[in-house]
Amino acid sequence: MISDLRTGGAPAEIEGEVCVVGTGPAGMTIALELARKGRRVVLLEGGGDAYEDDTQDLYRGEVVGHRNIDVANSRLRQFGGTSGHWTGLCAPLDALDFEPREGLGGFGWPIRRADLDPFYARAQGYLDLGPYRYDWEDWRRIVPLPALPLDPSRVITDVFQQSPPTRFAEKYHGAVEAEPRIDCWLHANLTDVRLAEGSNAVSSLSVSTLEGHVATVRAKTFVLACGGIENARILLNARAQRPAGIGNEHGLVGRYYTDHMTIEATTVLLADSVDARLYSESQIYDGAELQFGLRLTPELTKRERLTTNSAFLVPQHANEIYSTDYRNHGWIAFSSMVKAFSRGHMPDRLAEHYCDAVDDLGSVATGVFRQVARRVAPPEAAHVFKLRQDAEQAPNPDSRVYLIDAKDRFGQNRIALDWRVSADDLLRLRRTHELIGQAIGAAGLGRVQLGIAETPDLDMAFSGYHHMGTTRMHSDPRRGVVDANCRVHSVENLYIGGSSVFTTGGCANPTLTIVALAIRLAERLAATA
Amino acid sequence: MAAVTRRLLLGSVGLAVLGGAAYGASRVVCRFVPRNHPDFFSLLELAPDGEASRRVGEALLSQSDMSLDLPRLASSLAGRPFTRAAMGETCPTSRAALVKDQCALDFAEGRIVMVDGWLLSETEAALCAGRLLCGATA
Ligand SMILES: Cc1cc2nc3c(=O)[nH]c(=O)nc-3n(C[C@H](O)[C@H](O)[C@H](O)COP(=O)(O)OP(=O)(O)OC[C@H]3O[C@@H](n4cnc5c(N)ncnc54)[C@H](O)[C@@H]3O)c2cc1C
Repeated sequence: MISDLRTGGAPAEIEGEVCVVGTGPAGMTIALELARKGRRVVLLEGGGDAYEDDTQDLYRGEVVGHRNIDVANSRLRQFGGTSGHWTGLCAPLDALDFEPREGLGGFGWPIRRADLDPFYARAQGYLDLGPYRYDWEDWRRIVPLPALPLDPSRVITDVFQQSPPTRFAEKYHGAVEAEPRIDCWLHANLTDVRLAEGSNAVSSLSVSTLEGHVATVRAKTFVLACGGIENARILLNARAQRPAGIGNEHGLVGRYYTDHMTIEATTVLLADSVDARLYSESQIYDGAELQFGLRLTPELTKRERLTTNSAFLVPQHANEIYSTDYRNHGWIAFSSMVKAFSRGHMPDRLAEHYCDAVDDLGSVATGVFRQVARRVAPPEAAHVFKLRQDAEQAPNPDSRVYLIDAKDRFGQNRIALDWRVSADDLLRLRRTHELIGQAIGAAGLGRVQLGIAETPDLDMAFSGYHHMGTTRMHSDPRRGVVDANCRVHSVENLYIGGSSVFTTGGCANPTLTIVALAIRLAERLAATA
Repeated sequence: MAAVTRRLLLGSVGLAVLGGAAYGASRVVCRFVPRNHPDFFSLLELAPDGEASRRVGEALLSQSDMSLDLPRLASSLAGRPFTRAAMGETCPTSRAALVKDQCALDFAEGRIVMVDGWLLSETEAALCAGRLLCGATA
């Protein structure tokens, strides 16, 4: 059931067994899973059904570190959360990502990939992905294109899957609405977390609408699933009973912020005889849209003390019809309308999409022309590629989210995001490219020109909009904010959902892991809460 | 004067015959003497004669700690299995294939030089340097 806290007659007291805050992929998944297991859930959402300027304004903050990032537009404060923005590329983290790794501060997760595998498999369905198969070995018999014949002890073909992308608001609105065990409240902005006097347990949450309707929410267990930046902000702002903020006994909340460094650099020149079609465009098999990249084997990554990376080969065509520079908001809106109409559906957010497309008519016209031209022009196989990646960074405590003096309309301090990108992060990526270049040369396939200098230009790294690490998971409370079960170490009944719990970022886009962790957390809460 | 001239003529002819015989005999005998005389210069044709090749050559010469000259380059290439075989190969296609194999082996064994960010095998860079040095001495 979905209600709006702004409507007259909204209660001042709300109660459930488990209270989940946030309706993005993390919160919505936890709520649905708990309800299916018979739990009564209060699901709180700060925004409404659609985008609202004044609600979105609550996300405003400052960028003080690396500039190629943004804190407001990279998140959506509305039902469905940032899944209204995401582009849908998915992969699980690698087993290596969970292990302590030398050269990366020795940080490892307190869980292993095998612990998450069953939940990853279930998460696939939430995101409309294909079967849970991410090894090239699983696909090589099905996909009729060859992988590059590189030394398998050094460089392997990596598999990603593409979600449509699933918009949680569209896909799960009906399920939440129809679920009697979910009591979902829109415009219910969490403004305070209250601990029971003399205890380490949360007793209630305060929520408020922008218009000033206030309510208290009581439950046995609470889950914050407000995104990788907001989870930290909420804990840091909860200073009434804990002056440093809840869960911040060791000054870790907000620290270790990590993002994927989105970088397109380094040229790969392949011989004319080399068939690289597998990597040039996505392939659809077995109900999955697949994308293939190149990555170093875990053994080599470990031996070289590198961070993980998966590099996609972006074809560089001389012919302009292959350029994708028309892909902006207008084009994306236009193509999602066309897709919906072609499936016989009415597009979601039709007015928004229509206006986006009208505003960018030039790009839409260019896109349509190029799409048609590609179909009629003789096919042109690319032999020059750029490596594009969302590369991992080493965890860094100085990279962080912290409160600033400016306040939002609820009197909550806004945040500054001090994202650090270091020369070492880029030098590790450079070495990764060097090793890929070495493997390509050794296989006699071509040559590679490194696009990262020995003194790297930090400005080449852009945020992947993957906000991670600010309430990181570690079994030691002095090294992490939550434990292996995503429970805040110092609070008995407060859990965190989302990528803020990631101990390391890996190079897989985060949402599949967010949903897998959400299912795992729901399973645990259903059994114990 | 005439006697001197005749003697001189006969002597010269005799010397020439002897020299010819010695040379002929040497050629015959030398056929049976095993030797390693790789044709380094034929490999240089594989390096393109262009600006890029010149830059690669210059880069290798400037990066190298010891001063590289043609004999040093030749002996370093002769020390690698596929380029050694290529030097003794007369068929240009097979020679090119052997050099390609040597480049691949260089990459596999980490013998890589970097020029303008390009990762190149030492062999291809050495051929470019050889071509450059040849041009300078020609
Ligand atoms: C342009 C873009 C492209 C992306 N592409 C990809 C991709 O290809 N693959 C991938 O894996 N990921 C991608 N992402 C990241 C992906 O969107 C996030 O990982 C995902 O949405 C995070 O889910 P979440 O539920 O943790 O947080 P969110 O989706 O941000 O949801 C947080 C929810 O909490 C609510 N909330 C916040 N504060 C409060 C409060 N105080 N009170 C009540 N409610 C509150 C918000 O309204 C929202 O509903 C992309 C992101 C962007 C911006």
